[in-house]
Amino acid sequence: MSTSPVAPAPVDAIGRSASPRAKRHPDVFRRQQARLGWALSAPALVVVAAVTIFPIGYAIAMSLSNVTATGNGFSLSGLTGSNYSIMVQAPQWRYALFFTILYTVVTVAVEVVLGTCIALVLERLAAGRGWMMALLLVPWSMITVINAELWLYIYNPVYGVLDNIFSHIGLGTPVILGTRVPAIAALMVADVWKTTPFVAIIVLAGLVMIPRDYYEAAEVDGATGWQAFWKVTLPQLRPTIALAVLFRVLQAFGLFDLPFVLTSGGPGYSTQPLAVLAYNAMFRDLDFGPGAAVATSTALLVVVGCVAFIKVFRAQAGTEA
Amino acid sequence: MRNRSRRGWRRVFNGVNLATLLVFLFIVTPLYWMITAAFKTPSNVEVSPPQYFPHPLSVANFTDAFSHYSFGRYIVNSAVVAVVSTALVLVLGTLAGYAMGRLPMRGRFTVLVVLLMISVFPEIAVVVPLYALLRDIGWLNSYQALIIPYTAFFLPFAIWILRNYFMAVPREMEESARIDGASPLRTIWSVVLPQTLPGLFTAGVFTFTACWTEFLMALSFNVSESYRTIPVGVALFGGQFITSYGDIFAASVVAVVPIAILVFIFRRNVVSGLTAGAVKG
Repeated sequence: MSTSPVAPAPVDAIGRSASPRAKRHPDVFRRQQARLGWALSAPALVVVAAVTIFPIGYAIAMSLSNVTATGNGFSLSGLTGSNYSIMVQAPQWRYALFFTILYTVVTVAVEVVLGTCIALVLERLAAGRGWMMALLLVPWSMITVINAELWLYIYNPVYGVLDNIFSHIGLGTPVILGTRVPAIAALMVADVWKTTPFVAIIVLAGLVMIPRDYYEAAEVDGATGWQAFWKVTLPQLRPTIALAVLFRVLQAFGLFDLPFVLTSGGPGYSTQPLAVLAYNAMFRDLDFGPGAAVATSTALLVVVGCVAFIKVFRAQAGTEA
Repeated sequence: MRNRSRRGWRRVFNGVNLATLLVFLFIVTPLYWMITAAFKTPSNVEVSPPQYFPHPLSVANFTDAFSHYSFGRYIVNSAVVAVVSTALVLVLGTLAGYAMGRLPMRGRFTVLVVLLMISVFPEIAVVVPLYALLRDIGWLNSYQALIIPYTAFFLPFAIWILRNYFMAVPREMEESARIDGASPLRTIWSVVLPQTLPGLFTAGVFTFTACWTEFLMALSFNVSESYRTIPVGVALFGGQFITSYGDIFAASVVAVVPIAILVFIFRRNVVSGLTAGAVKG
């Protein structure tokens, strides 16, 4: 604030003007400060740009040309849309797109509902909330690959604990990861276990910020618990939940680690999301052009989704303010 | 309605406590299964029907993971990569976060939005070009093959977190440090940083966790045994032949413990980091 030309220069304890230069030459000082800002940011921005801008540009270039792998790198030739047309015509890509969207919608919906319920419970907890919060952070901080191995062990058809429970209650011993629908469900369960706590923590932080008087006012007006939840809690929580949804959607769309280890995309390609498809196309089948097309279009979808979300969210926040 | 006083048995057996118990079981049951598997004897890990309570207890899986497989090597690799990347992110992120939060730079909002985009960018889109680049400069299977990309990819989020903390520090102290003739770096170091220590912890824990758990780049750039990190080591445990879950879970317990302790100590920072966006809008 003190650097703004109209604001009076701040004065320190003994009455000296705190920034004499700012008083005399506000513009010069401001420009100096801005230069300092860029100088301080430069190292970080250079590192980020060097490692991200070039690969992003190169990936786009790969997706738009004929790529051949040579002894020392790739050679790109010609400008072509053939990688994208190969991609669009491949049933694997169409299925992966469908699967990624299905997976994102279902897991995020379940996690938000379940996470909100958990947050509501923990908010009312009289003692031990700190411990529960710490416990919630354990699945969040767990290496996804380990999470995948753990559920692989649980789902094992021979000595897995889930089939053992199933057989006790008369459901037999299904080969869970060997059939399409159960495999998809199994993958989602593993995701829900790891990520619901993350949503719960975000929502809980939003919950405790709702002013107490809102609830008191609702109570005075004779609102029931349900009414207070729908009319006070939920509307107040909306920005928080929106943020959690955004984080989760972006993450779920880039889904890789969990299916890569837990199902290897199978059976067939029935649990293969876009990122695994792109990885397999490039690193396993060495189809670099089409693989780059899959990867680039996935990234584009994420960026477009992110921008659209921010726009919509800002517009909504604007109309309410 | 809220916090109403409960009497007698209702103080313990009420809906809230029962629901909390359910939440507790939901989280702990899979963890219980992993930890007990690690402490079963190697032959009991894969026995049908499964042992619900491991008997006898054994640490054979742990000795296996460290002697038959080079799990100790993977831990060292993960630690080196995560510690160096986190240090780099904190140094660069502090300077940039301070500038973005405090200094009147034109276009800084655009920069921040671009950084946010980069931090959500799917890794898969950059892995192959980075692989080609790292191969060209002969960096595949090295520490820097992960340290540099991790630093770049996890910096944007750290800059956002730190910027939020820097914006909250009162300006007066900075002004008087400047009057006393302190250089900008010195002002940041001895006046501003001490007040943003919680922010540094938050950014640090997040970056460390992200480095510790990252899989795709580690799998693509560093598959050689001597530079594998824990996630790659766990995923490729036992090669393509038999997955020995006992070894995997013994290793997993060892890998989960340091991060769980870290997160437990800094749980307030983690929570405030997770919710920084929500709070600051």
